[in-house]
Amino acid sequence: MRTWNFWPALWAGKITGIVLQLLGRKGTTLPGYVANRLDPGLLGQLAGSYESLIIVTGTNGKTTTANLLAAVLTAAGKQFAFNRAGANLVTGISGALLQNYNWIGRPKAQLALLEVDEATVPKFCAQAVPDIAVVTNFFRDQLDRYGELDTTIRLVKDALPEQTLLILNADDPLVAYLGAERTHVCYYGIVRTPESQRESRETREAKFCPRCGHTLSYELFHYGQLGIYFCSNCDFRRPFPAVQADQVRQEGDGLKFKAGSGSYVTALQGYYNLYNLLAAITVARHLNIPESTIEKGLQEFIPQAGRMERFGSPQGEVTLTLVKNPTGFNQVIRAVLAGSRQLRLLIAINDLAADGRDISWLWDVDFEYLGNRDKLVSQVVCSGLRAEEMALRLKYAGLTVDKLIIEHSLDKALEILLSQRKSGEDIFVLPTYTNLFPLRKLLQSRLKAGQGFVARNKAVAEK
Amino acid sequence: MKLNICHLYPDLLDLYGDRGNILTLAARCRWRGIDTVIQRASLGDKLDFPQMDILFIGGGSDREQSLLVQDLMLRKDDLQAAIGDGLVVLTICGGYQLLGLYYQTAEGKKIPGLGILDLWTIAGSQRMIGNVVVELNDRLTPGPGTSAGSGNQGIPAATLVGFENHSGKTYLGSNLLPLGKVLAGYGNNGEDGTEGVCLGNVFGTYLHGPLLPKNPAFADLLLRKALARRGFTAEMEPLDDRIEILAHQAMLRKLLKKI
Repeated sequence: MRTWNFWPALWAGKITGIVLQLLGRKGTTLPGYVANRLDPGLLGQLAGSYESLIIVTGTNGKTTTANLLAAVLTAAGKQFAFNRAGANLVTGISGALLQNYNWIGRPKAQLALLEVDEATVPKFCAQAVPDIAVVTNFFRDQLDRYGELDTTIRLVKDALPEQTLLILNADDPLVAYLGAERTHVCYYGIVRTPESQRESRETREAKFCPRCGHTLSYELFHYGQLGIYFCSNCDFRRPFPAVQADQVRQEGDGLKFKAGSGSYVTALQGYYNLYNLLAAITVARHLNIPESTIEKGLQEFIPQAGRMERFGSPQGEVTLTLVKNPTGFNQVIRAVLAGSRQLRLLIAINDLAADGRDISWLWDVDFEYLGNRDKLVSQVVCSGLRAEEMALRLKYAGLTVDKLIIEHSLDKALEILLSQRKSGEDIFVLPTYTNLFPLRKLLQSRLKAGQGFVARNKAVAEK
Repeated sequence: MKLNICHLYPDLLDLYGDRGNILTLAARCRWRGIDTVIQRASLGDKLDFPQMDILFIGGGSDREQSLLVQDLMLRKDDLQAAIGDGLVVLTICGGYQLLGLYYQTAEGKKIPGLGILDLWTIAGSQRMIGNVVVELNDRLTPGPGTSAGSGNQGIPAATLVGFENHSGKTYLGSNLLPLGKVLAGYGNNGEDGTEGVCLGNVFGTYLHGPLLPKNPAFADLLLRKALARRGFTAEMEPLDDRIEILAHQAMLRKLLKKI
């Protein structure tokens, strides 16, 4: 049943969207905001009308997982509503759904795929019951916004309805615990990667059994707290995954692996992306999408804005990738050093609300891994509002001070980076969230974007 | 010269980049040719208090904090004796609260602390989150004629900069001095303008995580106190703190809109 204020909210939201479009601006947040002001229950009314409602949440990998799944759905010829821009709070989600509704209040697709911020899950689930909820992982991220990780996890656990099928990362004890005492649940995980280790020295979450509080034991760590774990005090242990990656290899510019009967070749780098791929595969199998279509969709997927995105230039490539928390940054550092080539880096740290105002997390990142390979690093240009703190962190990580440059302006920092480049060097640009899009724009205007990437990016965007 | 630094419960209390403080103490010793031994000690580990020079306790989430109170209680007498003997202690956030008499929960229940310092904490309804600038208590700033501030290129010896995130409101007994006065941020309780505590060689603060890297003068103050206790009273070699001072001043500029 539509409430009386649904209609003005729907129309006002759609009109706002059209006005924005006429002004040449994109965005779903403002239409969503306008519509929600008129009908606070709008999200539930919009989301509730889909035959299949899929949400993706967790700390890292939400956007990539949702985009991977979108690529598979597109390969399968399905129509779906999608908050592609990563607008994952109530207003952004409502705005994306508004675009998928016609003026008489009917959705244009039967399926909705939504990335939902973990702190928004309780609000979302109070209004709509997802058919499938994917939870990728829980890491420390922007604590100043969420309070503490424990609180976030408890809120997500309490909010997810009993009838929702949970698709969970078996290797993350904090996520796997969401499935305890539930029957409607399915897990994915990794047997091992070439970098899996018996011991871990990383700062990590979940040192204790989420059920009984006893210290968790590990047979293997993949990264962070992700791995093959068990509690020696109670019966909590890594659940057996229905979809499990094996024979994992990083080859050339991408990941290859097997999962059950499927063999996958992808253009994604970094073992953390393996989980995003597995999550997408698990959902796709539940939607009865044929195995060959899943393989094709994933193979053709190109990383989106700022996720190991490559820009071509006459002197060679520049790779842009977002950094936002210790575990993610640790994975990026390993990926950056994987080529064993000489490196030149630009790290741009901001401390605005969307970045997380507390940058203490920089001291939890294993920059020592970089510092121990000081010889491979030609230069690090530190930029953004907290450039000095970044340089300070690198000094204490053991990088030669003369290699550190502090330049607040992104434009000038990029100029230094590119003008001093020597042949044979790998160049990486590593921004926090609010530096990502400005840097991307600067890179696009400076460099001729690498041919293949532009063409294939477009194909996905236009579907 | 050698300093024994103990990081207590690093596995439990490691919420906000606390290891930055240990990295800083170790590096500033190394750059001066002073050896350090870092002990990472957790529940049940043997601690040799008489041998210890600097003890660091950080902050953690509520659940993990409750796990260690019992363990810490067993060590109370030894710790108190070491403090009486001049052990340098730095506690942050949760570790700071534990030094006090009690923590009173929102339900009014009083959880006893170590009772080493006459201070107490009451659960607040609002989290106090944000950047902080503290003007250090006069007794901690280097007097004229000393180069103790390592602030040879700047002023930062007189201020501390950092980030706080706590809901507990801490109050000091009348005989205790705060670490300093809040110039920006909330501090101990958001009411009386005080931040942290200092008594002899014991320090407590809400400025969490990487406090010492961008407050090099304060880091050196701790080292100087620890060395003096072992009879090394010679001036410490000054270091090239250009980046440290830039990071410190960037915060002052951001928060005080001056300099």
